[in-house]
Amino acid sequence: MLGAGAAEPVSLPKYAVRRLLLGLAQIVAVATLVFALTEALPGDAAVVLAGDVPDPERIERIRQELGLDRPAPVRYADWLLGLLRGDLGSSLTAGRPVAGFLAEAGGPTVQLAAITLLLLVPLAVAVGVVAAIREGRLLDRALTSAGIGLYSVPEFALAVVLVALFGIRLGWFPPTAVGVGPNLLAQPAVLVLPLLVLLARPICSISRLVRAGMIDALRSDYVRHAHRLGLSTRRVRLAHALPNAVAPAVQQLARTTDWLLSGVITVEAVFVVPGLGTALVSAVSARDIPVIQGLALVFAATTVAVNLVADLVAFRLAPRAGGAA
Amino acid sequence: MRSAMRWGPGAALLSVPLVVALAGPWLAGEPDPRGVPYGSGTLLGTDFVGRDVGEQVLLGGRTVVVVALAATVLAYLAGTPLGVLAAMTGRRWLDELLMRPLDLLLAIPSLLLLILLAATAPPGALPLVVIVAVINLPEVARISRAAALEIAARPAMEAMRLQGESRWRRAAGYVGRSMLRTLLADLGVRVVGALYLVATASFLGVGVPPDASDWAVMVDRNRTGMFLQPWAVLVPALLVVTLSVGLNLLFDGVRRHREEAA
Repeated sequence: MLGAGAAEPVSLPKYAVRRLLLGLAQIVAVATLVFALTEALPGDAAVVLAGDVPDPERIERIRQELGLDRPAPVRYADWLLGLLRGDLGSSLTAGRPVAGFLAEAGGPTVQLAAITLLLLVPLAVAVGVVAAIREGRLLDRALTSAGIGLYSVPEFALAVVLVALFGIRLGWFPPTAVGVGPNLLAQPAVLVLPLLVLLARPICSISRLVRAGMIDALRSDYVRHAHRLGLSTRRVRLAHALPNAVAPAVQQLARTTDWLLSGVITVEAVFVVPGLGTALVSAVSARDIPVIQGLALVFAATTVAVNLVADLVAFRLAPRAGGAA
Repeated sequence: MRSAMRWGPGAALLSVPLVVALAGPWLAGEPDPRGVPYGSGTLLGTDFVGRDVGEQVLLGGRTVVVVALAATVLAYLAGTPLGVLAAMTGRRWLDELLMRPLDLLLAIPSLLLLILLAATAPPGALPLVVIVAVINLPEVARISRAAALEIAARPAMEAMRLQGESRWRRAAGYVGRSMLRTLLADLGVRVVGALYLVATASFLGVGVPPDASDWAVMVDRNRTGMFLQPWAVLVPALLVVTLSVGLNLLFDGVRRHREEAA
């Protein structure tokens, strides 16, 4: 790929600014899209609030109270201005501000995602490095096949199989998080099965990239040269080959936030965790538009931000590979 | 035969859920009268509303498989011409106009987009096909555009232009045919991804009726009775797992076989 595109070398600050502008544009566009989509939801909040007996006059009155009778562009401008002030509106069904709602449901979700990421990186790198060092041997083939097989098994299917086996049949771990409350760390045993499910897919994809990068690096001239200089095998592998091998993996790590979010939504549903995913699914079924908008925006902004950071880190690790934006 | 070793295990694993999914509806026969919920009268017992689990398993695979395949096909039908057009048009603004909006779609997590779109669309299999195709569209268009750009830069294209071949013939005849290899390599990822989205959406109850005969819906609805009647959850879940693992292994085997042949 060397020389392809022949882009002039870009300095890190320049690249960062360009990437930041793109990220901002993405978030604004996502906000617009989210607004447009929630506009298209059938039946507005007034219908939901009016209850079981839909009385047209009552619906009209609620619409006026909520300002839903104003034209869409006005409401859009209003919503965007609110966003700038950090005001996401109020939940229609619970009546509380969306921001508070998010902060509360965010706890368990952030815990799940953070612990997954903390475990993911060392585990995936370890699996990838071990497979690369044992390239072609039985261990490598077993790890690689398992990785390919598990690569995109839907989390819910894996989760219920694990629950049936370890939660019910063997009784090692609690099958759901019912009764634990928002702080999952209070009862770490509850976390074991959800984390296993969340880790399965990202470990497969990242360890594969680490393995491929490591194999390339171990065959490269500079590693051979380091060996010739008399550096220990351990030092060559970890200090010289590994940093080059992980650059593509960092970008893949960002892409797994997409999976992690999907995974968190499903895992929360399976294990009955009161987090953002559960909130999203119930807000959609209740047509609670401000909550849907807020959640969608938080999810999308997180993805954009993580991708941004990952691109910058990857650029720093291996400047040649950068400039993708 | 080394090649058979490459894709054999995947194909074998895949055949079980695939046969159940596609032939199941013919084997299922007439629905029996409903029994008690989570009973154990039949081979696999009964589900949350007292239907025979064995029969539901036979009925429940077709939608998942057909929707995932149809969505993949639709994504290629829409995305490939888009990508080729963006690559072959000489006008930069048209390229940007076609590709930039798709880049923005990529910034939204796919399951989130699916939930949002499915909430606005009427329920049913057809809207789900369209939604999953839309989610796959940006990637398909990007891959097609990259492949077409590379091919359009080849000397053969220059020769065809000098011979006075029309733009249409160059695009469809040469670039289209040369792209097949790239697109085939991408096919596995697409199908597996579509399957993942369709199954996960159905599990979350997005775009499907709550008592649908569908493996993912079965897993969701029968979870409450997992202590009483685990088969009603485990059998459909394991079928989804084997379907996905089998597909992955098969496509990976085919890919490596092609790489070795190349």
